[in-house]
Amino acid sequence: MTALDESTTGAARARRDVADTKLLPASVGLMTRSLVNITRLPSAFVPSIMMPIFQAIAFSGTFFAIIQIPGFPTDRSINWFLPLGVVMGAGFAGIGIGFATIRDLEGGFYDRLRLTPAPRMSLITGPLFAALARAAIVTAVVFVVGSLFGARLTHGPLGLLPLFAAGLGVAAIGTGWGLGLAYRFKDMRAAAIMQLTFFLMIFLTEAQTPLFIMEGWLEGVTRVNPFNNVIRLSRLGFLDPPMTWNDTWGGLAALVGFIALTLLFARRGLSRLSDV
Amino acid sequence: MTVALHPSTFAQTAEMSKRSILALWRQPALVVPSLIFPLFFAALGTSSFSRATSLPGFPAVDSYLDFALAGAVVQGVLFGSTVGATALATDIENGFFDRLLSSPTTRSGIIIGRMAGGMVYGGLQTLFFILILLPFGLSIEGGVGGMLAMAVGGTILALAIGALMCAMAIKTGSSEAVQGAFPLVFIALFFSSAFFPRETMSGIYARLADINPISHLVEGFRDLTIEGLSMSAVLRTILIPLALAAITVTLSLRTLERRLGAR
Repeated sequence: MTALDESTTGAARARRDVADTKLLPASVGLMTRSLVNITRLPSAFVPSIMMPIFQAIAFSGTFFAIIQIPGFPTDRSINWFLPLGVVMGAGFAGIGIGFATIRDLEGGFYDRLRLTPAPRMSLITGPLFAALARAAIVTAVVFVVGSLFGARLTHGPLGLLPLFAAGLGVAAIGTGWGLGLAYRFKDMRAAAIMQLTFFLMIFLTEAQTPLFIMEGWLEGVTRVNPFNNVIRLSRLGFLDPPMTWNDTWGGLAALVGFIALTLLFARRGLSRLSDV
Repeated sequence: MTVALHPSTFAQTAEMSKRSILALWRQPALVVPSLIFPLFFAALGTSSFSRATSLPGFPAVDSYLDFALAGAVVQGVLFGSTVGATALATDIENGFFDRLLSSPTTRSGIIIGRMAGGMVYGGLQTLFFILILLPFGLSIEGGVGGMLAMAVGGTILALAIGALMCAMAIKTGSSEAVQGAFPLVFIALFFSSAFFPRETMSGIYARLADINPISHLVEGFRDLTIEGLSMSAVLRTILIPLALAAITVTLSLRTLERRLGAR
């Protein structure tokens, strides 16, 4: 075999390898790119860790007195507000993926990604994996810092499961929603909508006080907002009442429903983008 | 035709002020969030914390809305005050600031004119919050005099925060840096009595709220709302922002001098 033959065979093999790119390796590649950006552009990631820490600490200090209301489910305000900080931080870790996608779309990098033979679905699963990894970091850091400020798991380490389930689930929702909006608007207008809608979804719940304390319009909205179940799920391990399946399944069902809907929204947005 | 090449400093500042006010008027998207978010938080708090008003340490109020107004006004003014500074940073980024400097305009007029838009907006914002919340059960014990004192306080506070942000804009010349500095103001707001009374806080939070000037400023606004018109409340509502403005305006003018001196 001549050197030319060897070279031709190698090139053919390389072409075949690229054409056979599987979903998982392509997704992992895109995830790695996103995670590497944490070290290369820390200014974009650090706020997503600092913001939930600040929120958990500031809220628990400012609204410290609400635990004195008879029937309040915990005697530590940080136990009430830490899971909210985690949900907020994890959600914004997901939405941050949407921001990055807008930058890629505006800068033309996304067109180059779409020209590669990587499976289309990896353009969603890759960022999704990255968001899950980022959310896991956020959840762990917020929990550790919150513990230093007095947060306690009232039912042992098992209480971390619902916290992480809620954190990762909300990150997946944020990713689907962020990508879907990014694909449709293709510019920074989508960023404002992502933040505002997510913010509303989180705060129109028991985010600040339990349902039995509320009065007026918010009580009605919270009762019908399925996202309230996710907030409840995140707090299960930090409140006095025992963790039961009855309190858990609603949150898990809400997560599955939201994740399915938002990822479908992202998939359809990507298809529309590909049609253009 | 006669062209006045050297109009008075006042006339120049007035023209720059007009420009910054028109910029806010023509780009409502920039200011809408600073109107919507404080109202949303006030509505959210009123529904969430209505039962908390019976807790020990909470002042006697008809509803949490009366308590929340002061926090909403200060929060809105803080949000809105960054708009002018961001516009100034954008002027620096796109070179318009250099064109102004090369014209025979007074240096202070450029900065004060830019802050004037924020000041007008701060005063209007305060009245807007009061007027919007009145039909929802807000009562102002201080009456029309109290409202006017709050509007004056809001106007001066907008100058104080706007000047601080302008100093940041002149120093960095980056609109991104101005936006990035805003969370510091937001943190100061949260470690104050803007949303809950200091008497209900404990430990380090209570101590931070005690030394935070925003707490005392907010409490001036709050006393005008829930206790009535008093000299002490009026002075706190106006003098604290005035003292802050004296420091931050000096800072921004010095930063401008340093920037010009470095050329």
